Amino acid sequence: MTASILDGIVLGLQFGVLATGLTLVYGLGGVLNLAYGQMAVISAMVVLLAMDAGVSLLPAVGLGLLAGGLLGLLLDVTILRPVYRLQGEARVLLSLLLSLGVAFIVDGFLNWRFPLRGLSLRVGGEAVEILGVRMRTGSLVASGITLLVLAVLFYLFRYTRLGRAIRSVIENEEGARLVGIDPHHMLRIILVLSGVLAAIVAVTRSMVAPVNVRAGFSITVLALIVTVVGGLGSISGAFLAGLVLGIINSIAAAYIGTFLSLIILLVAAALTILIRPAGLLGVRE
Amino acid sequence: MLEVAGLSAGYQGNDVVHELSFHVDEGETVMIIGSNGAGKTTLFRAICGLLPSSSGQVTFMGTDISGLAAQRIVRLGIGFVPAERHLFPRMSVGEHLALGAYPHRPDPETMRVVLDLFPRLEERQRQLAGTMSGGEQQMLAVGRALMANPRLLVLDEPTTGLAPKLASEAYRALDVLRGQGLTILVAEQQVPLALAISDRGYVLENGVIGLDGTSEELAADPRVRAAYLGVT
Repeated sequence: MTASILDGIVLGLQFGVLATGLTLVYGLGGVLNLAYGQMAVISAMVVLLAMDAGVSLLPAVGLGLLAGGLLGLLLDVTILRPVYRLQGEARVLLSLLLSLGVAFIVDGFLNWRFPLRGLSLRVGGEAVEILGVRMRTGSLVASGITLLVLAVLFYLFRYTRLGRAIRSVIENEEGARLVGIDPHHMLRIILVLSGVLAAIVAVTRSMVAPVNVRAGFSITVLALIVTVVGGLGSISGAFLAGLVLGIINSIAAAYIGTFLSLIILLVAAALTILIRPAGLLGVRE
Repeated sequence: MLEVAGLSAGYQGNDVVHELSFHVDEGETVMIIGSNGAGKTTLFRAICGLLPSSSGQVTFMGTDISGLAAQRIVRLGIGFVPAERHLFPRMSVGEHLALGAYPHRPDPETMRVVLDLFPRLEERQRQLAGTMSGGEQQMLAVGRALMANPRLLVLDEPTTGLAPKLASEAYRALDVLRGQGLTILVAEQQVPLALAISDRGYVLENGVIGLDGTSEELAADPRVRAAYLGVT
């Protein structure tokens, strides 16, 4: 049981970072990015190809993060342009359809060019014992990085002018404009950030288990489930939901079976929405 | 300072205000009187760039600001306090005031002026805006706008939803600002309060200006007395 919970925390932290990238873009701009998982996979492939070409680990990871950020920027200046002309529900729907299209094209291309490839990073050597459980160094490094990312995000949103400006747009877009903040400018920054977060998740995940070229849609679905449970637009909600669902997922995988863990996650998400329609920490509109 | 010429604006192609022209001079307090639906909010949203105008021109300190986005107009020196206030519910009083100065660091002197004007805000620096009372929220909305050191403060019905005692308190604060030389444009249904601090006023009826004059002239006008002051 302890082993499952520790595994769950490792996974849950990654769920949290993953969902943060999706929930911020939605909360800030009313844009639902279904190509999110593909952003993670492309970043993973960039790391893989760079290492194939002889680039060493850290610069290769740097290239992967850069690729993630550029993908976010690319979405902003291409397919999201028509989306920005719409408001409210129409905006969500168009962003969903267009990004789904992008996801299909990217998936097809990746499967054709790099069939069966996957990123698997080996970090450290000996396993370490924690609370009587042997943990692989990869899991610990992945969790360390994820916690660091969490701390940076927390600092950014709590204590910097940029972070406050971003939160103000999520809280009330017109109010933000009245203090001189350009909401679109903030959304562009957040799209880049979300791409970088997707890349970070791909890299940290690959230290624990291979990130397969086909993983795009399952990453998006996981991010969506965690986002919905945490409450759309809520960063702390995304992290709380990530931890809870990560632990549920690991326990389910250990005691019931991996094949059922996604269904159990869905049931947990559905129950949360039945009890708290706005999610764990979401705001009621 | 502010010059509005032939401004028309509305929603979905239907103009709510029609070819309005008026001006506000430096140091003046000007009120726009009108009942519900007269077009006060539409007019102010169009001036401040939250609503595109269909025709006309708005000039602020010699710059044509018609068609500019709200976030740019704010930086030119117009602070707007909408009737709905548009606060950030899950952010604290301190964060609102800091954001008011965006993109700059809050200026300590301005902060002092705002906190002296609304001591309530100083006591509640850490409270979230969403948990505050209507009167406190109004103070916060005005305080946030003041943090940018505006040349012109535009307020849309600052007494909306306030009890009479709080409404007069709000106007006392505006009077202090006026005494400090700030130019103020205020829309109001509660005419007696606005009359007491205004130099001039315009009466807005069905989207057009029906009457204008100094506050004394308006207070003496039989139509204003009947429609807005409840005197027959």
